[in-house]
Amino acid sequence: MVVNVGFLSLAHMHAYSYAKALGSLDHCELVGVYDPDQERGKQGAAEMNTKFFADPSELLDQLDGVIICSENNKHREWTELAAKHGCHILCEKPIATRMEDGQAMIDICQEQGVKLQIAFPVRFATPVRQVKAMLDRGAIGEVLAISATNHGQMPGGWFVDPTAAGGGAVMDHTVHVADLIRWFLNREFVSVYAEVDTLLWDVEIDDCGLLSMELEGGIIITQDPSWSRPRTNPTWGDVTLEITGTEGVIQLDAFAQNFVLYDDRAGKITERSFGEDMDFGLIQDFVTMIRENREPSITGFDGLKAMEVALAAYQSAQEKMPVRLG
Amino acid sequence: MIRVGVIGYGTIGRIHSEAWREIPGCELAVVADVDGDRRAQAQHDLGVDTASSLHEMLQSCEVDLVDICVPTYLHEELILGAVQADKHIFCEKPLARTLVEGRRLVEISKTYSKKIGIGHVVRFTPAYKKMHQSVLAGEIGQVGVVRTFRGGAPFPAGWNDWFADYELSGGVILDLAIHDLDFLRWLFGDVKRVYAKSTRGRTSARLEHALIVLRFKNGVMAHVEGNWSNVPGEFYTKLELAGKDGLIRFDSRETDPIVAKTQNRAEIGAVAVNPYRLELEDMLEAIRQDRAPAVSATDACGSLEIALAAMESARTGQVIEL
Repeated sequence: MVVNVGFLSLAHMHAYSYAKALGSLDHCELVGVYDPDQERGKQGAAEMNTKFFADPSELLDQLDGVIICSENNKHREWTELAAKHGCHILCEKPIATRMEDGQAMIDICQEQGVKLQIAFPVRFATPVRQVKAMLDRGAIGEVLAISATNHGQMPGGWFVDPTAAGGGAVMDHTVHVADLIRWFLNREFVSVYAEVDTLLWDVEIDDCGLLSMELEGGIIITQDPSWSRPRTNPTWGDVTLEITGTEGVIQLDAFAQNFVLYDDRAGKITERSFGEDMDFGLIQDFVTMIRENREPSITGFDGLKAMEVALAAYQSAQEKMPVRLG
Repeated sequence: MIRVGVIGYGTIGRIHSEAWREIPGCELAVVADVDGDRRAQAQHDLGVDTASSLHEMLQSCEVDLVDICVPTYLHEELILGAVQADKHIFCEKPLARTLVEGRRLVEISKTYSKKIGIGHVVRFTPAYKKMHQSVLAGEIGQVGVVRTFRGGAPFPAGWNDWFADYELSGGVILDLAIHDLDFLRWLFGDVKRVYAKSTRGRTSARLEHALIVLRFKNGVMAHVEGNWSNVPGEFYTKLELAGKDGLIRFDSRETDPIVAKTQNRAEIGAVAVNPYRLELEDMLEAIRQDRAPAVSATDACGSLEIALAAMESARTGQVIEL
């Protein structure tokens, strides 16, 4: 069976890497792209070597699955449309910008009998999967504490528009780490304290944050989601977790597999990855889910719970108090 | 289904055996070793038949491919035995202990109807492969000077301590530095001259450190460092390539995505990709598609020749022209 896939909106740049993954999968066809921004849509479709559709319904009618790479606040609208056309959905993170939107997305997908998967590609990074396996076999005993970072460069564009993005660095990066930790430990977050501010860039949205959290069972967690990597940083950012257990420690640096390229012609220094492509793993998982008609490995509920942590961080920063969850 | 027989169940034989078991489309049928304890170990680890020699392996078991994982000085004898039995052959690097042996094997491989592949595994490590691609893509322009390092781990302990016998192993240059010599030859082609020094014979300590200077025919110069240490430490590698338009730097100690320490043992850097598995998979594909394996006997003999020249230079103090 050929799985037909398309894109609703190319606002999020991950779409291009997902398209590349689709291109290298067997029995899978990238049918086309719809984007309310016609110029971006047409240009992107050309780059992806696929068709641009001016009408989203016309595209959705031809698809088994759709990848939503719109601005965060549009995820609900596109999910509702795709679900009504019976398309399975891979939605870029965060699931939405408000809890009620995320819940509505889960509900309509259930009503329409379509699957909703949230794009947390870091779960598919090989070192991350190895750490998951180590934790599952109890390699370091009971986990007690985790110190995490998910640094990045300031992305600009709609990512710094409070309405479209629903939050800055804290929204953008907290969800990745919150999802990894929920997946690693099968426990929910119960409290979130956060410092959140705009300190580094001339933007209307938060660019720095420090979160201090607790999981069920008293596991203590901190996370730094800041857009604190300068323009000259040799790579986009990082995902690191230092995990302390009763019988050992694990230091994970998910994107450490790089060599450094000093490029005089471009006038910059960049890190070049030689690790495996996690976006390929995510897309392969999505397409396989459709073909085998199995449940998503990362559900809408996972997306909602990760966003809940980010939203609690904003609330905590406002109240200058820890926020209790659940 | 390709049936594989591994001969030699030491360090590399174990790594290969485990990889063969994971690879679809082949079956690890038998492991041979002269040592009874090792045969018992293989049986325990893998649950496969064992044999005490290549001869016994070939008599007792149908195999299509013989994977030779014995000490270097035995390579030629076993390759010849497997050739006589008309088997596909994969042999751990280096190809042989001497150039005479190496060249004999190259001659045989030229008319042999089955495949012969040599295990220069560095070509299959993701980092070195990517850097190779980057240089060939011209990302740092024309390359001028290169530095490599490989070592940091203790002097190896092999069967009958054969690594410590220079006549058998060729020391750190032939056993370890040859990885980088092969990588550089893969990138830059033939070497023009070699000048090398080694600590061998300067100390009774159980260590060897070799410093090799190479000049390639295309003008590139390279400094190749190999190390077997007598202080506790972890194995690591470094590579630096300087070109007209840029520089590539790599240090394996900075690229471990996972560092884990437990009360019982340290467990460092689970490898995402097993390069040994990749080289063995390439060998299977070569058999299936009737094409040359990634590293032929001819390629491996080219790298052997550079290593032997470096050893000769270190021994005589002479510059060796190739």
